[in-house]
Amino acid sequence: MADTALTSLLAEDSIRLDCTAVDRFDAVRQCGAALVAAGAVDESYVDAMIQRENTVSTFVGEGVAIPHGTLAGKESVKRDALVVLRFPEGVDWEGNAVSVCVGIAAAGGGHIALLSQLAEILLDPAKAEQLRTATSAEQVYSLLTPSDDDDD
Amino acid sequence: MPERTVSIASSVGLHARPASLFSQAAAKAGVPVTLTTKAGKSVNAASILGILSLGIGHGEEVTLKAEGDGADAALDSLVELLSTDLDKE
Repeated sequence: MADTALTSLLAEDSIRLDCTAVDRFDAVRQCGAALVAAGAVDESYVDAMIQRENTVSTFVGEGVAIPHGTLAGKESVKRDALVVLRFPEGVDWEGNAVSVCVGIAAAGGGHIALLSQLAEILLDPAKAEQLRTATSAEQVYSLLTPSDDDDD
Repeated sequence: MPERTVSIASSVGLHARPASLFSQAAAKAGVPVTLTTKAGKSVNAASILGILSLGIGHGEEVTLKAEGDGADAALDSLVELLSTDLDKE
């Protein structure tokens, strides 16, 4: 597979498993702050993420949302990166309960492949459940590791 | 079964924003809609995860199929959506 491995974009300290947020915009801001802390984006990307969330919800199902910036925010991306924030108490996402946010910074067209890999994982209800209930960074890593040798 | 083939107009492909707008519209269509890529992979058009998993790029052709009352009208409006650059704004 020529695709960039999801795990190569995810630093260990970008996995935060015990977050709380008052609403979905708070959760998006926290994802943005984690991307800033990872050195992946400028502060202005956080506004682009909020703007994106305002236009269309980034909820994708399975208790997961994928906050990311608008096209206009791409100039503030220094390098592609992911962050994983878990909200054990859940965050109300326009009537849906979200317990995991995967924040995405992507400058080029590479994020189509990225999202595709992520969606493949979440389409497996067992893996989605494991992500929602992960208690260690290792669990998150192993879930995001491509399982090409799965005998399915 | 009515079907339509359309190429994706969104400059960035059928990813997050266009994909959510499209799957929301498909969910409201009132009839089950299937989206099939040229490579032959099919998903439920109302599932954003299904759509995202296909990683459909700009200009790629997809086929939409639906069955039941209002299938033609539903397909027409979904085709119109995919023929629009949903990322332009």
